[in-house]
Amino acid sequence: MKRLSLFTICLIILVGSWVFLRFVVGGVISVPIPSSVIGMYMGLIIIAILVHISVEDSRFREFLRPVHETLIDDKRRIRRRVIAVLIPIFLLGYTYSIIAQRANPPGSPRDAHPSPPLELTYKDAVIGTMQDVVNPFRHYEKDDPEAFKAHVENGRRVYHQNCFPCHGDHLDGQGHFAPYLQPLPANFQDPGIIPNFQESFFFWRIAKGGPGLPAAGTPWDSAMPIWEDYLTKDEIWDVILFLSDYTGYQPRTFGEAH
Amino acid sequence: MKTYLLASLTVFLACCYVGNAFAADSDAGEMEMLVFPESYTAGSVSGGGTISGVVTFEGDVPEMKKLEITKDQAVCDATEKYDESVVVGEGNALKNTIVYLIDISKGKDFDKAAKLEIDQKGCQFNPHVQIVPVGVRITMLNNDKVNHNVHIFSSVNTPVNKQQTKNRRRMPLKAVKKAEGPVSVKCDIHGWMSAWIAYVPHPYFAVTNEKGEFTLEDVPAGTYKLGYWHEACGTNSGSPASVTVETGSTATQNFTLKLK
Amino acid sequence: MRNRNVVSLLMLVLGMLCVLMLAHAQNAPEASEKGKEVYENSCAHCHGVEGRGDGSAAENLLPKPRDFTRGLYKIRSTESGQLPTDQDLFDIITEGMPGSSMPPWDTALSADDRWEVVAYIKTFYDGFKESETPPRAISLEDKIPYAEESVEIGKGLYVDLGCVECHGNVGRGDGTSAPTLTDEWGFQTWPANLAQGWNYRGGADTEDIFKRFIGGIAGSPMPAFEGDSFLHFGLTAEESKRLSELENKDEMTEAEEEESGKFYEKMDAAVDIALNRAEGMELSAAEQQTYDNAMKVVYEKSWHLANYVKSLTPEKRPESAIGNNVLRSQYVQGALPPMDDAAWETLQSGYFPVVGQVVIEPRQFNPTIDSVNVKSFYNDTEVAFLFTWDDRTQTIGDETDETTGKTLEDALAIQFPVKVPQGPTAPKPYFLWGGRLPVYLWHWKASAPEQVTELTAKGINNAEAQEAQGELQTQSIYKDGQYKLWVKRALKTDDKKDLQLEPGVFVPIAFSAWDGANGDVDTKRVMSSWYAFVLEPVPSSKRFIYPPLIAILSVGFLFGLRAFVQRRNSEEV
Repeated sequence: MKRLSLFTICLIILVGSWVFLRFVVGGVISVPIPSSVIGMYMGLIIIAILVHISVEDSRFREFLRPVHETLIDDKRRIRRRVIAVLIPIFLLGYTYSIIAQRANPPGSPRDAHPSPPLELTYKDAVIGTMQDVVNPFRHYEKDDPEAFKAHVENGRRVYHQNCFPCHGDHLDGQGHFAPYLQPLPANFQDPGIIPNFQESFFFWRIAKGGPGLPAAGTPWDSAMPIWEDYLTKDEIWDVILFLSDYTGYQPRTFGEAH
Repeated sequence: MKTYLLASLTVFLACCYVGNAFAADSDAGEMEMLVFPESYTAGSVSGGGTISGVVTFEGDVPEMKKLEITKDQAVCDATEKYDESVVVGEGNALKNTIVYLIDISKGKDFDKAAKLEIDQKGCQFNPHVQIVPVGVRITMLNNDKVNHNVHIFSSVNTPVNKQQTKNRRRMPLKAVKKAEGPVSVKCDIHGWMSAWIAYVPHPYFAVTNEKGEFTLEDVPAGTYKLGYWHEACGTNSGSPASVTVETGSTATQNFTLKLK
Repeated sequence: MRNRNVVSLLMLVLGMLCVLMLAHAQNAPEASEKGKEVYENSCAHCHGVEGRGDGSAAENLLPKPRDFTRGLYKIRSTESGQLPTDQDLFDIITEGMPGSSMPPWDTALSADDRWEVVAYIKTFYDGFKESETPPRAISLEDKIPYAEESVEIGKGLYVDLGCVECHGNVGRGDGTSAPTLTDEWGFQTWPANLAQGWNYRGGADTEDIFKRFIGGIAGSPMPAFEGDSFLHFGLTAEESKRLSELENKDEMTEAEEEESGKFYEKMDAAVDIALNRAEGMELSAAEQQTYDNAMKVVYEKSWHLANYVKSLTPEKRPESAIGNNVLRSQYVQGALPPMDDAAWETLQSGYFPVVGQVVIEPRQFNPTIDSVNVKSFYNDTEVAFLFTWDDRTQTIGDETDETTGKTLEDALAIQFPVKVPQGPTAPKPYFLWGGRLPVYLWHWKASAPEQVTELTAKGINNAEAQEAQGELQTQSIYKDGQYKLWVKRALKTDDKKDLQLEPGVFVPIAFSAWDGANGDVDTKRVMSSWYAFVLEPVPSSKRFIYPPLIAILSVGFLFGLRAFVQRRNSEEV
């Protein structure tokens, strides 16, 4: 069997890597990778190939040999003509598609978890600093399991009377109103949500709702109500207990944060 | 030995009776419903008597509300229709009250020849209250030339929900297995149509006529609890009247009902 | 030869797997502690700890969560009056009920857990224990494939059987009986909008529709057309056709009376057999034959009807305009088309789903409006919109809400910002009728169908009609359960409180809609998030210049390259 030329090998590596990134990693293994990220990886691979072929003069010449042959060798006439037709046609189509493409609305960059204020308030009354406030019922978990259970059950009731149309029966953000809200309701089953924030953070998000977000969180889009208008302070703390009890995720505590 | 047996049998029966009495009491908690005997044996009755009487309405007679006919006006609104939940006639006679024996366990059989029908004439059920023996089919009539939908809101038996298309003059319904009621009958197509069906295990049920009269015939001699049911006035299941029937004579029992 | 062996081995294995799956599918395990635990953790908040459908969430839900204590199940593969199979219960838990608050549990609960729940749910109703024979399944054997002729026959049946009374002329759930329907528990319920297959509770396959039709939807006003209540049960298709002819006459002659009388006798006999069967009586061979013949006609007609219903809905829910799908107004030269112009048919609708407004009291937890569909044209000076949305009832402001005393009527509001945000990070007004930043609204009400009022709002309870009402032309119509609203406005106005439109600029757009018959008034309504709207610029003519230019350049480049290489080669040689 004829040995593959260096040029063909490089071509195979390029196409192979793209297929691998686009379909194997971004399909079989995980969710699709954004095209910009694929572009970045492909750029790295191209640089690596360029470095590899330009290290030695002889290797560079070997790499260019098939290109040379195609361009001038009479034995490669057919290939040359095919390429001379294909490349302009490809460019014609590609530029047309770029120019004729319809403009899309500007995406609005949104910080899903913007920084909270320094102080935690409920209806204008200060509870404490965001860092120090703890759930007043959390200690029952160790001290009085019965009382803890009662608070969790109350949280369950509050959740199902208020939160579940959007955040879902399973707390996965897939309630029956959820699919057509933008941004989507929070998914508490996501391991990246509850363990990453203190309970005071959840209190803030629940009490102040969408309109209480800083500008980075696009407060004008969120359908999260201002729950301090409807729920008591204790009800909010109870529902936070329920969120962590049902999902099995523990909110971050002050100690861990440092 | 024999005495012991007899004694223990007596005690056993007494216990059963007391148990039954308690059971009946707890049933009476459901004041909206009729009360049926545990079991009923049908046979021929000789030397029975009759119970009759008049049911009258007490209090301000509510004005009969004119029904709002929202569709098929050509057929349904040909004559004026009124809500039939309280129909009071001359001398405050109360129509459509069920009067019945609560505690009868043995007596006559059903009148097999009786026609069991509810007509849906001009988009109103007629009669408004119908007694249907358990195990017997009732036939729904439709000469209206409009579609009707028979929806019987049973909970003990399987609910009935059947379309009776406009040219279907007769539609017999499956017989039910259990006594129940009265249950509401509606037409989903004409929301104002309303009637009641009582599925009953024995024939001692009567529905009062325009004059408020009822008659229960061929009642074996004895003392019975006499109950009533009216859709707007409720029941007396908690404290039924006691009536003693003598052979060949007529016992009279009148009732005066108020809105619940 | 070897290949064939491999194939038969594979088929054998597959066959065995199927048998195993079926065997597994038929029965749930015995009720266990595990089932109770899963039920109480995942189901009880709606269906209640005792299965009465009275969990803490039930209050705000319509349709209400099912009460399991009466054994009435909507979505079954079994005949009317029969209990569901275990598989039916498992499937409904797995797939959920679209258009209601019952979600699919396929990812949240393992298959084993779902089977445990099936077993546990059955303990709420004694009928499951008492029934000795398995429930009678609806046969799907002689399915009639989808075809134009079948749909045509089904369409006739749709009227003859009275489907039209509740589901309306074209199936939008707007029949004249729709507003008064209640379920077995006395709660108000709406007939399905058959044009929205994605909201069919038990799925929108032809088989699903067929099963709902034959078996009914237990507990709801949807009757079962199980057989003896079918049009002309016991007659052949031809006999039924003839009888329909006779029945549709105003007066029958004596001979015709006699002819129809014979048909009725035949029908009565067949109905009698069907009732005997339903009451549990053994049928003789001859009776069974009569019954089977009658049912064959019923099933055939029902497939036609199912095919017709299938024809009423698109295959899938239209793609929502969230994300990159944008409402694009098409440029036309000259006058913009009026409401009933055929030009609108050439445009594809933008589909904008709406959800209940549950942010500010009073809230709407049980919306009846699914979406607003929008098309738009513009020319050099004006823009025209055509909004359509399904509403089962026309409420024109002659009813009042019982609790608030407010006038109920259908309405639609289209919302834009007063000023288009500049750049992707620039703030938009709050999506619920603005706040610190105001919104500009077109408010249409069914009581004044030829008028759209311009509002400026700084909050959902803080809207005011503009003092200077611009020249908005409006047309509207309500027909067969659907509103159509046509609005035309100048691209530019003199009013500073109005939005000014310019081709190529993306403008946020959102909707609010009210269904008066559903108690919608003020903040109780359905609404949407912000979507995007743009007057699509006329495509640039550059697209015909640059691509050929680049192609020609590339050819030149290739030739140049070849010449260069050739020259260098000859130099080297």
